[in-house]
Amino acid sequence: MDAKVTKKKLGLKERYAAMTRGLHWETTYQPMDKVFPFDKYEGIVIHDWDKWEDPFRLTMDAYWKYQGEKEKKLYAVIEAFAQNHGELGVTDARYINALKLFIQGVTPLEYYAHRGFAHLARQFGGDGLRLACLYQSADELRHQQTETHAMSVYNKYFHGMHESNHWFDNVWYLSVPKSFFEDAFSGGPFEFLTAVSFSFEYVLTNLLFVPFMSGAAHNGDMSTVTFGFSAQSDESRHMTLGIECIKFMLEQDPANVPIVQRWIDKWFWRGYRLLTLVAMMQDYMLPKRVMSWKEAWEMYAEANGGALFADLARYGIRLPKGWADACEGKHHISHQAWSTFYQYSQAAAFHTWLPSEDEIAWLSQKYPDSFDQHYRSRFEHWRALHKDGGRWYNNFLPMLCQTCQVPMLFTEPGDATQIAFRDTTYHGMKYHFCSDHCCEIFEHEPRKYAQAWLPVHQIYQGSCYPEDINPASPGDSPVREVLRYYGVDGGKDNGEFASSPDRKHFATWSGRTAGSTTMPTEPAK
Amino acid sequence: MSATPATDFLRSIGEYPMRQQDLEDRFYGKRLIYVSWENHLMYAAPFCLPLPPTLPFGALVRDVLPELYGEHPEFEAIDWQRTQWFNGGKRFLPDFGKSIEHHGLVHKSLIRLRTPKLEGSRETDSQGRQKF
Repeated sequence: MDAKVTKKKLGLKERYAAMTRGLHWETTYQPMDKVFPFDKYEGIVIHDWDKWEDPFRLTMDAYWKYQGEKEKKLYAVIEAFAQNHGELGVTDARYINALKLFIQGVTPLEYYAHRGFAHLARQFGGDGLRLACLYQSADELRHQQTETHAMSVYNKYFHGMHESNHWFDNVWYLSVPKSFFEDAFSGGPFEFLTAVSFSFEYVLTNLLFVPFMSGAAHNGDMSTVTFGFSAQSDESRHMTLGIECIKFMLEQDPANVPIVQRWIDKWFWRGYRLLTLVAMMQDYMLPKRVMSWKEAWEMYAEANGGALFADLARYGIRLPKGWADACEGKHHISHQAWSTFYQYSQAAAFHTWLPSEDEIAWLSQKYPDSFDQHYRSRFEHWRALHKDGGRWYNNFLPMLCQTCQVPMLFTEPGDATQIAFRDTTYHGMKYHFCSDHCCEIFEHEPRKYAQAWLPVHQIYQGSCYPEDINPASPGDSPVREVLRYYGVDGGKDNGEFASSPDRKHFATWSGRTAGSTTMPTEPAK
Repeated sequence: MSATPATDFLRSIGEYPMRQQDLEDRFYGKRLIYVSWENHLMYAAPFCLPLPPTLPFGALVRDVLPELYGEHPEFEAIDWQRTQWFNGGKRFLPDFGKSIEHHGLVHKSLIRLRTPKLEGSRETDSQGRQKF
């Protein structure tokens, strides 16, 4: 009911209190623990929810106003970009494959984050934290939508974007981000916060955002850059939430420290493994490079992250367990991942190619301790096959890590000649892992990871064939049938870039050729 | 259902049944066998294959391995008599006439093979670069 306004408008501070904390009440018909059943079972002890410091003082109406203004600007740019055929202004058509990886593998995570934070916004017993999660939930939904809109112009002209949601749910490499987030939001609310807000948004976010958004700027993609700007203020809010939530848990009770430490160990490693895809994109998929993965790792992880953990030491928190191995991996993972996608490109949903001579020289310079010594000869072998008109594909499915679901492509820390194998036995069955850390994550909660939906195993179980295929005998080319189920159009959506319609169309429409010149222009036999 | 081992630290708000996704009976009479030709890193990762447990070890070598690895420049030169075989970390001597099951290769076993003198990434070329 409308009351007659007698008083002056509330001041900013009062208004904030009334519109946020003022909306909370203690339930009387039901005990609070029954109304909020999720916020204790993980073992995190909260004595006083009022100690939660709101990292940003934002009311809902102000939130809608800011977001609405950003949205107007963003859509004006997207519209202008489409009108002016901005998609033809990018460096070359290879760049668009970085966007495919983004729309396939990152955009669906925004939606998962939206769902995860919506759950938290309902389930935390403290009103301040619930409200922060509500904003973030709305942000993430907005990001999923605006990314989709920013990239939709590319989908009109290029392949490899049209079934991205279906691919996210089925295709092997996309199970890496998918399982990461499903692992996070099937944990409890505090673990989700540690996983997503702290480990991902706070510790690792720059390693995701810089390659894609600066990559877009360097490669003439104003549509994606504008999305990046539009998301930036949200991201800084998310980062603040990440650090606040960690400090809040650590300050509330000493019993929380070992639980949080274990989550940091786990989620740092899960996030790091997920970023393998970004490392590869950064070093191999941007025609105009921003910085190498190794440089980005040194700046954002080693320098910034190192300072962060030095600061958290006063709470009894140390560096994540996998830290040293991740730092050692900076010399290797992008090369190992691109080699993998190069040879399995016919089973993916974007194009791959060999780096040009100039790019090889760049890699050699940026990776003085690893590229020439360990990786150059395999690329040169493949290049020699190209010159003979061949294009090598690996036609057999790889073994996957049970935890991170990445193919077992990582080498032993300190020995780039040897694939790293770890295994354990659980209820009479063997489980295999890429690293000590993925093995340890499994062993801590084996019931959770024993049910992992590994795409390769699922193909063999018959879960990824069209209805007209008998999974017991899928015929002469199971991979072809799987691609049919995925809705991936072989050669158009994937395979060698040099012989792709994307390359041809981009050249015709823009009047500029793209890609390196040593590639065969006809499809391989 | 078997009991949850004491080492499982998983917490949940209700029942959390143990469900193994990849039990052997879901693979149409086959079992998953992983294969790794050690140090041959042209192949991004070891392979995962559904194989009948009755498959003779010789057929694995004769028919399956050439499909997997035949395009590697060292493959032709492999001396199968000198090849060293491992079930995970444990060495075994194969009998080419007997089945993979006979060799103790259960569901989800990892076969690693080492080919002496053809050591891929353990060797370097004239420029000091690791081979593949």
